[in-house]
Amino acid sequence: MSNDKRSGRSELAKREERTAYRLLLPALIILLVIAVYPLGQVFYTSFTNRQFASGQETEFIGFDNYQRLLSVTISQLPPVIDEDTNQPVIDEETGKTVYERPISVLPREPVRYREYKQFSFMGNRYVLGATDVDFIDAITNTLIFTVTSVFLELALGLGVALVVNSNFKGKGVTRTAMLIPWAVITVVSARMWEWMLAPNRTGLFNTMLYTLGLADGRVAFLASGQLQLWAMVAVDVWKTTPFMALLLLAGLQTIPDELYEAAAIDGAGPVKQFFSITFPLLKPAMAVALIFRTLDALRVFDVFQVLLGQSQYSMATYNYFQLIGNRNMGLASAIGVVIFIIIFGFAIAYIKMLGVDMDETA
Amino acid sequence: MKIKKKHWWTLLLVMVLVGSLLAGCGSPAEPAEPAEPAEPAEPAEPAEPAESGDQVVITVAAGAVGQELELTQKAAEMYMDQNPNVLVNVLDTPDLAQDRLGLYLQFFEAQSAEVDVYQIDVIWPGDLAEHFVDLYDFGAADVVDEHFPAIVENNTVDGRLVAIPWFTDAGLLYYRTDLLEKYNFEPPATWDELEEQASVIQEGERAEGNPDFVGFVWQGNAYEGLTCDALEWIASNDGGTIISPEGMITINNANAIEIIDQAAGWVGTISPSGVTGMGEEDSRAVWQGGNAAFMRNWPYAYSLGHADDSAIKGLFDVSPLPAGKSGEGAATLGGWQLAVSRYSNNPEIAAEVALFMAGYDAQKMRAVEGSLNPTIMSLYEDAEVLEASPFFGSLYDVFINAVARPSTATAPNYNAVSTAFFRSVHSVLTGSIDAATAFEELELDLQDITGFDIQ
Repeated sequence: MSNDKRSGRSELAKREERTAYRLLLPALIILLVIAVYPLGQVFYTSFTNRQFASGQETEFIGFDNYQRLLSVTISQLPPVIDEDTNQPVIDEETGKTVYERPISVLPREPVRYREYKQFSFMGNRYVLGATDVDFIDAITNTLIFTVTSVFLELALGLGVALVVNSNFKGKGVTRTAMLIPWAVITVVSARMWEWMLAPNRTGLFNTMLYTLGLADGRVAFLASGQLQLWAMVAVDVWKTTPFMALLLLAGLQTIPDELYEAAAIDGAGPVKQFFSITFPLLKPAMAVALIFRTLDALRVFDVFQVLLGQSQYSMATYNYFQLIGNRNMGLASAIGVVIFIIIFGFAIAYIKMLGVDMDETA
Repeated sequence: MKIKKKHWWTLLLVMVLVGSLLAGCGSPAEPAEPAEPAEPAEPAEPAEPAESGDQVVITVAAGAVGQELELTQKAAEMYMDQNPNVLVNVLDTPDLAQDRLGLYLQFFEAQSAEVDVYQIDVIWPGDLAEHFVDLYDFGAADVVDEHFPAIVENNTVDGRLVAIPWFTDAGLLYYRTDLLEKYNFEPPATWDELEEQASVIQEGERAEGNPDFVGFVWQGNAYEGLTCDALEWIASNDGGTIISPEGMITINNANAIEIIDQAAGWVGTISPSGVTGMGEEDSRAVWQGGNAAFMRNWPYAYSLGHADDSAIKGLFDVSPLPAGKSGEGAATLGGWQLAVSRYSNNPEIAAEVALFMAGYDAQKMRAVEGSLNPTIMSLYEDAEVLEASPFFGSLYDVFINAVARPSTATAPNYNAVSTAFFRSVHSVLTGSIDAATAFEELELDLQDITGFDIQ
């Protein structure tokens, strides 16, 4: 794309361009076959009621799957009125007004809404209803998981990268050892963590907390709603920090030493050096690492599937459950499309925010 | 102009990248990998390789809970001894039933001939019938009368016998004879008694220096096992069977709500709070380590508990599960069947293998060595079987009267029904909601799934 004016190009340049396109063709065809075609298939299936592993007829049902997944509504909960006094009923224990229950207020036709959350606004009580609360939960879980795990990985990874980037004896060994968690297959490391997080003193964490006198040795890390998500974050941070560190280390290596030497001569301390030299020059590498990790974390599957099964879903495990468990291929495809759009949105946002120029790499 | 064009290229590139990232989890053509990729187990005994040219290979997909896998391999060896021209491979499949179903479905969607014989759960014949051959076409009529008629009926779909019964299961209460004697208790007849005994023993044992001791362990993770456990509580409290055989949704009733709330009270008191993450093997680990007074589990834990490496060898016994309001305990009917894939390359030989493995000799071996309940009635009078597992005789009524899950009435939606049920119960057990609210919601969920009327 170095030439701005197409009309002014020589015959040779045109010919070169044609050759370039021809050389690109095989790659393009492969992309079409392995990415665009299956993706198109998913889009198409998401508009049908296709069943997985079944001989049942498939029908085209339009946007029904999406409607079932994503519809939300807000209804006001009227206070319960006492029939005798015509006054709102007040709970005697708590002193608060009693409202109608969401289940009797939320619409049931054509699709049923379930309670997602209740909230008060301007003195009225409202309920947020969703047709597929599990999916909304899965999205929230995944987003919380992604934001916290990627942030922690970036912070820790940067620390690790800075340490192994400095010159010390045994640098090579340290760099290799650092990569071990990343090299372990996720299903295997998830099992390992399952044992360490066991809800009794056979588990490492319970033994540690018990020995330190911080808990009774029976903390259910993987079974209690509040701890589940944080356990997932811990497993992922442990596993992927090395990857983050590796990407950042590559970025650090490209920063010439002369800059630091010059800065030192000018009297800049280590902190000043970090923020004036390291950080700005590391930004492109950081952007790439963040994009990689965020997109990867958004489609997290293995850790959730192995450790939490059906008790809490990520977007991908919910997709798996609808496809395999309920054999609902149409709906599962619609979930796939929604995941696609969410991840796509994240990718665009990153590119805009971090000012990554895709062409510059060429 | 240039900038705009550049943008489009960028967009397209991003889209393709994201798309290929997604290919693993979104594309139906390549369904996500199962949680535990099953690895083909080594064939029990590689027969002479020289003959492999005309040797038929039959693959049996089987479970590996407890000593199941070894026993299946042993049965395969028994068959290969008699039929040297057949090589029977045993494929190790995931422990949790749903994961196993997920793996099977992927074979079926691909119409794969890789697996010839499938070990299927008692709740699956209705859902999976279309993928299996009719065993009546392969001589099952001669042997079918030996098996429990209720299970044969369960496995018969539209007059086709889609699976041969292999072993049956019913929930049992395991209790520590030494501890009950120490604290002067009789085996509990009701849930209230169990609650009291468990709490006394737990307190006593902890005071005597075992901080890991718990009163009662069961299967509380959000999976099919919880459906079984919760169904037992509800049925024993006269609360019905979630959905009646006639297709009425009965779950939202006072008795069911009462017993589920009671069970939620066990979590963190007589049962560890981690019980809501336990499957069969997790609870057995606690129990067999000598750290629990009571356990709800299937019969397979009996012979393992009496094995030499068990901390409680000779210190426990089994009884029917305690009763609630109905005055009688209830045991959920479990058990596994062998079915032959329609996509098998050698259905005759595969059927022969299945019928052999479910036959008298193989079932007897499995009953004696693995305390897996036979489905052949006459084995319950066999002296060797009764010597190995005396409770087969004394608890015969429990096995005969086990409560079936509503899989027939709800086919092909049973999995969705069960998932809605166990997730609902699980949310009560973890304390995020009370049973009355949960079941009010569940009742409507079940109506959405099945279209049945609410009672």
